[in-house]
Amino acid sequence: MDGASGNTQASILDRLQEIFRAELDDDDLVIGMDTRQADLKAWDSLAHIRLVSGVESEFDFQFNLSEIEQISSVRQFVDAIREHLQ
Amino acid sequence: MTEATARPAAKLPVQALPWLPRPAGKMRDGIAALPADPLEALGALRALAQAGWDEAELRLLGRKIRNIVKSAPPSLTADARKQGFVPVHLLILSASTANHLADSLIGTAIRFGFLLQLTIAEYEEPEPWLARHRDELTNNPPDFVLIASDNRMLRLAASLGDEEAAVRTVDAALAQVMRIAEVAVAATGKPVILQTLAGDPDASQINMDLGLAGSPRHLASEFNRRLASQARQAGHLLLDIDSIAASVGQGAWSAGRYWYAAKYPFAVAMAPLYADHVMRIIAAQMGRSRRVLVLDLDNTLWGGIVGDDGIEGLALGTGSPLGESYSALQRMALAYKERGILLCVSSKNDEAIALDAFRNHPEMILKEDDIVAFRVNWDDKAANIKAIAAMIDLGLESFVFLDDNPAERKRVRDALPAVAVPELPDDASEWIPVFQAAGYFEQTGFSREDRQRAGMYKANARRAAQLERIGNHDDYLRSLDMTLAIAPFDQPGRKRIAQLISKSNQFNLTTRRYSEAEVATLQANPDAVTVQARLADMFGDNGMISAVICLKHGKRWEVDTWIMSCRVLGRRVEEAILQHLVQQARAAGAGELVGRYIPTARNGLVKDHFEKLGFARLGAEPNGETVWRLDVGQYSDKELPMKIEATAPAGSASAA
Repeated sequence: MDGASGNTQASILDRLQEIFRAELDDDDLVIGMDTRQADLKAWDSLAHIRLVSGVESEFDFQFNLSEIEQISSVRQFVDAIREHLQ
Repeated sequence: MTEATARPAAKLPVQALPWLPRPAGKMRDGIAALPADPLEALGALRALAQAGWDEAELRLLGRKIRNIVKSAPPSLTADARKQGFVPVHLLILSASTANHLADSLIGTAIRFGFLLQLTIAEYEEPEPWLARHRDELTNNPPDFVLIASDNRMLRLAASLGDEEAAVRTVDAALAQVMRIAEVAVAATGKPVILQTLAGDPDASQINMDLGLAGSPRHLASEFNRRLASQARQAGHLLLDIDSIAASVGQGAWSAGRYWYAAKYPFAVAMAPLYADHVMRIIAAQMGRSRRVLVLDLDNTLWGGIVGDDGIEGLALGTGSPLGESYSALQRMALAYKERGILLCVSSKNDEAIALDAFRNHPEMILKEDDIVAFRVNWDDKAANIKAIAAMIDLGLESFVFLDDNPAERKRVRDALPAVAVPELPDDASEWIPVFQAAGYFEQTGFSREDRQRAGMYKANARRAAQLERIGNHDDYLRSLDMTLAIAPFDQPGRKRIAQLISKSNQFNLTTRRYSEAEVATLQANPDAVTVQARLADMFGDNGMISAVICLKHGKRWEVDTWIMSCRVLGRRVEEAILQHLVQQARAAGAGELVGRYIPTARNGLVKDHFEKLGFARLGAEPNGETVWRLDVGQYSDKELPMKIEATAPAGSASAA
């Protein structure tokens, strides 16, 4: 990974946006830090796993099983990603 | 020559498909740059798909294809077919999760020229699903059915040390899979792909377990061994997941967390490799696997440059580690020859010097006689490969080109995109596993003809020499002393008949594909007139070279399928077979033969087949199909330059 500048909340959110569009199959989707699983119909349990694997592949780390279970919002994704990249 | 200063690239794992060129840039940039026209976009995506993308990127590619097909007009499929794309409909039956594989499969399929349509039944036992969808499957059958069974679906377990219980457990699991396959065949009539079980890293890894009845490793290995042999007997296709998982390591293959979280059958990163293997089997069954291996010489078949170093200076054979690695490569090529792959040479060299190495280097494993065609000169390699293709009469999509030089590889890849050109590690001693992992020569069956194929092409070269000597074509044909043996379909010929029907693309009037089971059904059908033909001559046996199926509609016989091996073009075999059909039709009191030509991207060769045989054109249909008719009463027997030995269909003697 490049330095700290690559890991800001905004830059992670940008990359997450692309992953959400691809995995939820919606090119016009716009997410924000406050987007929650309950807000997006397409974010069902199988889509959740696709998001997890998309994030793992994009950021090159592995979530542990309890994180996979607990994450249910964009903010939680961003926080978990920042934690893993530290 | 590879430059000595170049740092060797890190070794790529098998799941990265190391034989493919590495991707340039990101998939999303490639997608953003696609042309707007859907057909042009598919062509561009096919070109993009030739690289070794990782799972996430491959899925973007597949998704883009899916969206293009979804939003394009229905005519897209027909138009794409004209551009050489082949629509394939695959049904996947999985007791685990499978939908997440869809886009990887679609993205991989386009690399093989397939537009893949998927029906996926996941997270459910296949039998009830098949029962519920039976009518739908019969009315709109998929082209292939993949039974994606895994450890979790079969749950092999027996008490340790109990031989009988272990046998019963394996019997029950095999019976379950074979029953699903039977139901799938009954419903669709299409080929079924079965999977072996991957070695399970969660199973106890005790060394003695392979021989201990009832242990997980013993049960899985017994299951795999017997599944493979039953699949071969029943004519099903085999996807050897156990071997694929072993090639990457059981731990890397295993889904791990993703099994607990979402019932994924294997790790996400393995999807490109899995999809590649599925497509190889489908391609092989459709006659689209590779058949020719073109080899470079200097620093490919031997170490060194024969023109500079001389025969004595080459690294080949015992005595140097490098020489042994080139011997191993020659042995690999020879092993493919034994499986029916044609070996050719294309090299920038002086021909006399190169042949001298073949004839006089004591450690050469490949002999001059193993090579079907030599093109050794200073011309461009792409031009030479094209010349070889013309010489042995096979399309470029049958070719693989092996060369140590990255620049030559790129040039051939750019000039001839249909030719497969594997990327190779810098070190020649590491080529073989990469080449083997690419699976260019996937085979779904093995017949006597396969083993003899190289000899047949050699014999053809001798026939060409005879023709050149005699000059007159009719005299030449008479000089060959040909015998054509014609018989209805029978059990001993069934595997080869099914192989001809599934693989022939050029001399194939209708390109209708029938599985072995369907061939058996046709054989028993009293309203089907079937013909298989073998041709032998003074230069050897060509084996079974033609299959024809006519369906009786009262006094009108319709030619459903007419296939011939291109090896025997120009030998008047098709005229002899027509004469045989006419004689049978007359004996049965039929009045006319009706033939149909359905154009594909690859069968332009037989566009005028029926016209040449004296049929009159009845009409044409919008998609380029033409229909032809022959009045059996008007046909007059011809004198043909061969002896014909016809076996009467069973029952015809008593009917006469």
